[in-house]
Amino acid sequence: MARHLRFVARTVMVQDGNVDAAYKALNRVLSVDGILETVKRKRYYEKPCRQRQRENYENCRRIYHAEMARRISFLSKANRPDPWLGC
Amino acid sequence: MGRASVVSTESRRPICSSAIRQQESAEEATVTPKTSSREFSIYPPMPGEDSPLRWGGMKFEDLPIAHIKATYNNTHIQVTDHSGQYMARTSCGAEGFRNVKKSTPIAAQTAGISAAAKAQAKGVTFVRVVVKGLGPGRLSAIKGLTMGGLEVVSITDNTPVPHNGCRPRKARRM
Repeated sequence: MARHLRFVARTVMVQDGNVDAAYKALNRVLSVDGILETVKRKRYYEKPCRQRQRENYENCRRIYHAEMARRISFLSKANRPDPWLGC
Repeated sequence: MGRASVVSTESRRPICSSAIRQQESAEEATVTPKTSSREFSIYPPMPGEDSPLRWGGMKFEDLPIAHIKATYNNTHIQVTDHSGQYMARTSCGAEGFRNVKKSTPIAAQTAGISAAAKAQAKGVTFVRVVVKGLGPGRLSAIKGLTMGGLEVVSITDNTPVPHNGCRPRKARRM
């Protein structure tokens, strides 16, 4: 990143010489920003047909997981007002 | 690059009233007088603003930099001063490792130790680390620098990310 200010982005300070925690924090920041997987993917060329298949697969996976999490959280709700109260 | 909001769990302060603060200050004054008065943020001090943090009397912008290039086959370490002037340089191959042994974390650690020794001979104590590449020696080179005696102040990641520039080589196992 030669055209950007150096030591501004993707930088983590080390507290009390705890290099492991700082490295973990850096890895967390990079994976949340999606940089680690981009670097791994761009190591070899990905043909456009493969890229379209992968994007489609990731979209379907995201929708499926979101829907499943929603349903599970709905079913696991235990504290709710008694539906048979007053009968 | 957007900054992810990583909450540092070390500096979580409750909203306390003055009475509780006096009690806490009486306890903390005996235990940790220095660290409780300063909030630690994982973000570095910006080049424009003035921050009171100093390492060995130097500001953050004037600290020497240790560039670590961690490729998949080797790890290079070069220590420069804040303007980019060369100070020390080693790599796994320079340590005597050959071929496949260069791409191991142990080789990176020995390279880090020797780079720290060379830098200390030139009078360097605090250093900022810039890592480039995803290789096996990425973390162990930093560990080697700390084991060799240098103090790591911050870790930056400068891995080159092309915005669809040069075409990389073809995928393996066709």
